[in-house]
Amino acid sequence: MITVKDLKRYYGSGDMTVKALNGVSFEINKGEFVAIMGASGCGKTTLLRILALLDDATDGEYTIRGLKVSSLPEAERSYYRLTQVGYVFQDYALINEMTAAENVYILSMMEGKSKKESYKVALEALDKVGLKDKHDRIPDELSGGEKQRVAIARAIAKKPDIMFADEPCANLDTRNSEQVLEVFKDLNDNYGQTIVMVTHEPWHVKYVDRVITFQDGVLVSDEWVEEQ
Amino acid sequence: MIDDIRVGALIAGSSIKRGNKKTLVFIVFVLSLIFMNLVFLPSMIGGMTVLFTGFMRDYPYGDIVIEPTGDNTYINNADNVLKKVRAVEGVRAATKRLDVGASIEHKQNVVGATITGVIPTEEYDISQYPYIIKEGDFLGDLSRDEIIIGSIISGTSTTFGEIYDDLGETRTGSLVDVTYSNGVKRTYKVKGIMEGNFELVDLNAMVHYKEIEDVYGLDSGKATSVVVRIDEQGTEDEMKDKIREAGVNEKIFTWADKSETLIRQAMQSLGAIDTMSKFVGLIVGAALILIIIYINILNRKKEIGILKAVGITPRSIVLSYAFLSMFYVSIGIFAGLILYLSLMLYFQANPVVFYETMEIRPQIDVMLLIESIATMLTLSVIAGTLPAWSVSKESILKAIWGR
Repeated sequence: MITVKDLKRYYGSGDMTVKALNGVSFEINKGEFVAIMGASGCGKTTLLRILALLDDATDGEYTIRGLKVSSLPEAERSYYRLTQVGYVFQDYALINEMTAAENVYILSMMEGKSKKESYKVALEALDKVGLKDKHDRIPDELSGGEKQRVAIARAIAKKPDIMFADEPCANLDTRNSEQVLEVFKDLNDNYGQTIVMVTHEPWHVKYVDRVITFQDGVLVSDEWVEEQ
Repeated sequence: MIDDIRVGALIAGSSIKRGNKKTLVFIVFVLSLIFMNLVFLPSMIGGMTVLFTGFMRDYPYGDIVIEPTGDNTYINNADNVLKKVRAVEGVRAATKRLDVGASIEHKQNVVGATITGVIPTEEYDISQYPYIIKEGDFLGDLSRDEIIIGSIISGTSTTFGEIYDDLGETRTGSLVDVTYSNGVKRTYKVKGIMEGNFELVDLNAMVHYKEIEDVYGLDSGKATSVVVRIDEQGTEDEMKDKIREAGVNEKIFTWADKSETLIRQAMQSLGAIDTMSKFVGLIVGAALILIIIYINILNRKKEIGILKAVGITPRSIVLSYAFLSMFYVSIGIFAGLILYLSLMLYFQANPVVFYETMEIRPQIDVMLLIESIATMLTLSVIAGTLPAWSVSKESILKAIWGR
């Protein structure tokens, strides 16, 4: 489903060049729940941003379902982000002045659905993450875990091909982290949602199918996790 | 595009509904002041214009004034002109006048003045002259050796007293010597002193029309102007055409034509201030709106990045800020209008006093208000769109994480 070939991302130039990603290649198939791990600064977040079309690679190729998305013009990348890719930010990235439902249904409205229909989609997505009853709350009225679950609802409401999550539990305590990871697991197990998650917590591994590990911008291991 | 508008409206709506109310109040307050700045001074100047044009209408020009053509000093057959004018439907009254230059002397004090020869009984229907006699009486049909002098000339003006030369406390009954521009000297008894608190009136003097005819040896029926009052104000242009159609071939002006020229001259400086004030107000207003919206947008830069990251189009984002800024400006205009109308009410009750007696009441100019509202709304769209467009063009990473 996702094919990454010799992907490079360099910052700066000359002697000051920082090789955040230095020739990374791998494939991810539909329905996989993949964790990308590694020490801080190893390039995992850079990779995720490129995969989610938030950043550009310096070189290399990246396709989703055979479409070379890395070379799409910005308007199409925007449409792709809207319809095919879900992204969960480390710091939730919700719009503070919108309710949970509005944060979710704005994307459906952007896709052309009516407000009523969009609201219905948002409630379904919020229901999946256990927050249907808090649809009218603004982010300030939600806990960290709840905010992250709203962010997940926003990402899944449009039923994306792939969902990317950048250290979604970094700001959460263990209990809230478990809730969020359970939501991911449920989406993956029951809805076949492909998920690529960046994390540096070893205990998160028990929720995923596969772990790709990076070191200094290079992929150093790619392992399947055995069922426990 | 429809989806962009719907999403833009949703973003703007939620921002208004749940945004910081203190910020909203501050922005609206500043915008209301910008609006006030655009409309208040022009309203005051408008008030001054109305005051001065009112004077023009009530004293020298009436509603319509007919003057000699070309280089002619006089309308040669003023009686014929009067006959034609009075026959025009809608004309309430008309009279002829003779304006001449003269010097007036009293106890070795000499002043120069314009002396107007009037037909006293007709002036009651034409001008305010008969009604502004502060001492003595107005001229009568038999007043041949009598004169009305303006309060400035008489030296009794409290308003302009120190600015102009005068005859030194001339009173009703005083005798003054008048030397006309043709050298003829006459002595008159002051019958009355008029005070209109307007220099064009208070610096003048008035004698009977026949007296000027006599002094200048004019044939019957000559006049320097024919002043006309009409039944319905606001129809001056139409009446001007009717008078022309009635066969009057002299120069015909409405009070507005004459006032415009005079006011333009008299108020040239004020006009320049007004224009400058409008221009500066507009520039300052535009800059302030731009700064307010830009700061607002900078504070929301991360939000713009997030919206882009989740797939909201830049067009929706730009539209949301255009809506937001239009909302701010609309509320600002509304608050500004309330403030403006409150001030207008205050100044109607407590007019600005000019030269101690002239009361200036600011005028509400609907066209000016419409222009100012349209200007501010246009500015708001530009001010909201430009910075949002600029930020929405930034890379998502830079907008969200500053790199």
